Amino acid sequence: MGGVAITQDQFDRFVDDYNEDYLLLLKRASGRHYDCLVTSFSILKDFYDLLCTLYDNGGLVYHRMPYPFTVRADEQLLSHLGFSEEEIANIYNFLPYVKATMGIELQEYIDSGKWELCFREEKQ
Amino acid sequence: MTNQVIADRLEAGIQEVVARWRSAVRSDQRIRSDSALSQRELTDHVPQIIEEICDLIRSDQEPSISTTDEARANVYIRIRQGYSGPELVWELSLLRMALLRYLAELQSEAQLDIDLDRYVRLARILNLYIDLELRYAISVYTDIASGEASVEDFQA
Repeated sequence: MGGVAITQDQFDRFVDDYNEDYLLLLKRASGRHYDCLVTSFSILKDFYDLLCTLYDNGGLVYHRMPYPFTVRADEQLLSHLGFSEEEIANIYNFLPYVKATMGIELQEYIDSGKWELCFREEKQ
Repeated sequence: MTNQVIADRLEAGIQEVVARWRSAVRSDQRIRSDSALSQRELTDHVPQIIEEICDLIRSDQEPSISTTDEARANVYIRIRQGYSGPELVWELSLLRMALLRYLAELQSEAQLDIDLDRYVRLARILNLYIDLELRYAISVYTDIASGEASVEDFQA
């Protein structure tokens, strides 16, 4: 029998961290700040899968649910998270932006696991 | 290649499957929380769920935690909309039946080449997907029932 690798307190903090980061990425997309967002979403998806795996293994509970990670835009979900119509439109536009600039769907990119890390150039 | 064609065909039929499922939900006396929902709210994440199932069929892959994101999104939204656990289970049962029936109807399209073996394989992917969503839903509803989960954060 395998034991739970982390405590409930640690798990709660992970969920809170994930929720905070997820909202932050959506906020960036809602303001059309698409730079490096693909990498960030890919890493966060990994984190989300980890949370779901830990939860699925049993022994831990959700004191707060993680926001559902989805690359298929959902207007109801986004408006529940507090985004305006214009911001939701900007989030929607992120998907075609990825396809146009990278030649691949965001989901395919995330699933490929071949992520290129994105570095911001420092201003001189 | 054939799985690709079948997935494309199923994806093209999403609106039809969703319409049939919606009609079944609306007329099912065991589900009451749908009555307060608009058509758009009821339809919710179901098209995305079918798209995700189509992706799995396309890649002939059994569903796993990392490939059932839309299922978890659906659970999140239904809880927020005030669905009870049994209502969500019935709704998913109706979706399973609508999808299996639609797949069975596609068997008559010769170019799709869906023999019994292939149908069983496709049904397995579909059933496992719905079962994973049910498993997740039961876990979350259990947390809520035991007072562990904080539902205020995601209820309407």
